[in-house]
Amino acid sequence: MGRKNDIASAVIMLGVALFLAGCPKQALEPVGAGGPQPQAQPQQESPAMTPEQPAMQMEPYGGASGQGAVRLDQARQDFQDADIMFEYDSFSLTAEAKKVLAEKARFLNAHPGMKVLIEGHCDERGTAEYNLALGERRAKAAQEYLVFLGVNAQRLSTISYGEEKPLDPEANEAAWAKNRRAHFVITEG
Amino acid sequence: MRRAILCVCMLMGVVPSIAHTQQIHIDVEAGEFRKMKVAMPSYAGPPDMAASVWTVCARDFAITWLFDVISPQSYINPGPTGEIQPGTLKDWALIGADYVVTATISRQGPRGIFRVQMVEVATGILVESTTYTSGEQTMYLAVHAFMDHLLKEKFGLGPLFSSKIACIKKVNGAKQLHVMWCDGTGATTIRGGGSLVLNPAWSPDGRKIALVSYYRNNPDLYVFDTLTYQLRLVSGARGLNTSPAFDPSGSRIAFTSSADGNPEIHLVNADGTGRTRLTNSWATDTSPAFSPDGKSLAFCSSRAGNPQIFLLDLASRNVQRLTFEGKYNTEPAFSPRGDLVAFSYLTEGGRYAIALVRPDGSQFRVLKGSGRGDETPSFSPDGRLIAYASSDGNINVMDLTGSSSVAITTGGGYSEPAWSPVIR
Repeated sequence: MGRKNDIASAVIMLGVALFLAGCPKQALEPVGAGGPQPQAQPQQESPAMTPEQPAMQMEPYGGASGQGAVRLDQARQDFQDADIMFEYDSFSLTAEAKKVLAEKARFLNAHPGMKVLIEGHCDERGTAEYNLALGERRAKAAQEYLVFLGVNAQRLSTISYGEEKPLDPEANEAAWAKNRRAHFVITEG
Repeated sequence: MRRAILCVCMLMGVVPSIAHTQQIHIDVEAGEFRKMKVAMPSYAGPPDMAASVWTVCARDFAITWLFDVISPQSYINPGPTGEIQPGTLKDWALIGADYVVTATISRQGPRGIFRVQMVEVATGILVESTTYTSGEQTMYLAVHAFMDHLLKEKFGLGPLFSSKIACIKKVNGAKQLHVMWCDGTGATTIRGGGSLVLNPAWSPDGRKIALVSYYRNNPDLYVFDTLTYQLRLVSGARGLNTSPAFDPSGSRIAFTSSADGNPEIHLVNADGTGRTRLTNSWATDTSPAFSPDGKSLAFCSSRAGNPQIFLLDLASRNVQRLTFEGKYNTEPAFSPRGDLVAFSYLTEGGRYAIALVRPDGSQFRVLKGSGRGDETPSFSPDGRLIAYASSDGNINVMDLTGSSSVAITTGGGYSEPAWSPVIR
């Protein structure tokens, strides 16, 4: 009997393990469309159980309270809110920009289903045509650095808006500094 | 829009002096030319209509840069005056007028009649007495016909007021194509084609406008037909398809493409076939502008560390640097006369201004313009004038000395002017 119980608990534990392993992947789907669905497919195989998925990561999504999804929502929001900034007429990545990109690379590597559009923006100074090209180079510089940090290039697309979509429409140094940026939008996953 | 709706109705009075009017040699850069002073007492006729025709007339005289309208505040007889009374000439001589221009505006059904007279003050000769008609809402066309006639008869110049300026107008956060006559009249904002339209450039026949639209969520290159309103995709590779310029034959378009990696100048047939790359540099190459003979291409490149103007010889592919002043020179425009390249120049004081250079890199000079920050020059079809956008968001027209500038829009929100060829 005791042995049967042991087997039963082992099966249950395996089920839980499979469930937990499958969870991160599941939890990505419903974001923005309500909470997680932990009970949805507990019997599912464990395609997500791969060496790159450290067990630690599973924890936040394990709870049935929906807290995991809230955290992911917040993480996505943080990812999209963090622009990288540029110097005037430059598409070189500053040390600060590289730090932000390293965080983004970690996040993207942890969420391999995610696709991102990188928007390149300029301040209003200078001319429209040149700034379209400069914005493109800013977006591409960010893309190349993320690829260097291990993100698959296929997951990253770029677009330049030049000086056409300033974050701050004012004409002063503070506004211009805010507008010289690359902005990141999660388009998939 | 065609000029067919406008007709010269009849020639009134005797105009013997027209044929004998000397054509004046205009050498703007030598500073020898003295503008002709014109007195314009207010026009006779229905007050609203007369006032609006007078305003267009005064602005057009100023735009030509060949005439100066004397301020009406100094007139002894401010009008309204339909015809010039012989006894009043000394009043106009007193305030230094070379010519007096008077007119009578009247309605005839849905049409308006513009009867204009021009007298040479020194001799009393009636040098012009002509009647033009147009639709009541399009009386500016009658003024254009009068102005084009004067430019031809007195100066041997082409019909400046038969040319248009395309630009981009901000409307409720969207940016749209905006087309008007070169004095700002007959303005139309063209909707559709997405909410972000940029970089307009005319075809040499004045019928089509190459432009950039984000309609497909990418800066793609289209050709817009001003007669059929059709918009046709020319280049839509992922990345930049920006800053188009038609070649003088109208069959090819140079533009900026990042299809091969970084922004380079490419050439494509106007139907979208046969793309080839013209530049090859690690740097940003953008804003091509053909010389009128089609043999070379001015463009902007950051290959010297910051944006400067370069000239590409299309046959040899040799590249020559034209600008050495300043650290930010962009958006070159070639004069239709082939003797000048205008561009946006960042002054040491951090202000943008329009500057000129010869195509051999000599005679760099900065034009005064609005003095507030000027960008994106575009030459008039006769090469005598430059349209540009000032930092208040309006389009202005100035001469090649930059000393006098006329705003052709009000209210702001305008950018990227592109002056058309003469539209026949």
